[in-house]
Amino acid sequence: MSCEPKKHVVVTGVSRGLGLAIVTSLLEAGYRVSGCSRERTEAIAALEANADFCWFACDVGNPDQVQQFIKAACEWAQIPLWGLINNAGIAREGILATFPNVDSDELLQVNLHGALYLAREALRIMLPQNRGGRIINISSIIGSRGYTGLAAYSASKAGLDGLTRALARENGRRGITVNSVAPGYLETEMSSTLSAKQRDQIINRTPLGRLGQAEDVTPLVQFLLSEEAGFITGQTLTVDGGITN
Amino acid sequence: MTTDITALIIQETENLIRAKGTECPPVSADSRFLQDLPMDSLDLATLLVTLELILAKDPFRDGFKTFHSVEELSALYRAMAS
Repeated sequence: MSCEPKKHVVVTGVSRGLGLAIVTSLLEAGYRVSGCSRERTEAIAALEANADFCWFACDVGNPDQVQQFIKAACEWAQIPLWGLINNAGIAREGILATFPNVDSDELLQVNLHGALYLAREALRIMLPQNRGGRIINISSIIGSRGYTGLAAYSASKAGLDGLTRALARENGRRGITVNSVAPGYLETEMSSTLSAKQRDQIINRTPLGRLGQAEDVTPLVQFLLSEEAGFITGQTLTVDGGITN
Repeated sequence: MTTDITALIIQETENLIRAKGTECPPVSADSRFLQDLPMDSLDLATLLVTLELILAKDPFRDGFKTFHSVEELSALYRAMAS
């Protein structure tokens, strides 16, 4: 699936894992991509060789930094903003009864408030452009299913799906679609904390018999960004090897 | 200043309505955005973002303030200027 003429897409949380895979696939498809993360990793440095990619330092939980990021990204791209992919997220594990409030606050600030700040700034660009657009929130099956030790994370992802549905209704009249992509358990750094027993349990319960790869998710993100997906909005689309079936 | 901001709001409102391909009725200082003009809440949000870009001012930064007409919106910008 290629992007012609070139379109500008903003992706958050690009330093590793799924965010990095999304950026790589979008650049291959011909998009111009602005990416942000808190840290600049070696993988980002390698991507910067591509003239269609620009990285910005941004803590998405900070609304002022988000505002500056979107402004700088749009000035750099020099073409209208077409898409936003809210991928930035953090995970903290622990039983809620003993989970520090400060950790819950930080997690919700990044995973949920961050997505809201980004969507706000992106819509403030997209609406006056009057060219439609795409917002994709990277959720998780844990948002709808829950998982022991991930209460705050689960709440943040369920909140993200609610944000998706509300924004889809609010902005549909302008041709702006808003969807969530909910991956299952992926082989990323974020899942590396799973014990061997947990991994085996997940694999055994997955009809397709393996953990997912970031590359299992990127084709759906690309499709939702495309013109062909213009009548799909307000949905949470699951990519989990069938585990929630 | 009053005339400038009110005139700007009227002009941008007319631009926005015409950009939708809708016939634009006469817009005056007394026009109420959502009652008298072919505008919806998303149009109004678009107008406010456009005005913020032009004027570099956001009267709603510290919370939403109710307004209905062009003149009432103009007064919010004038209050910031004073």
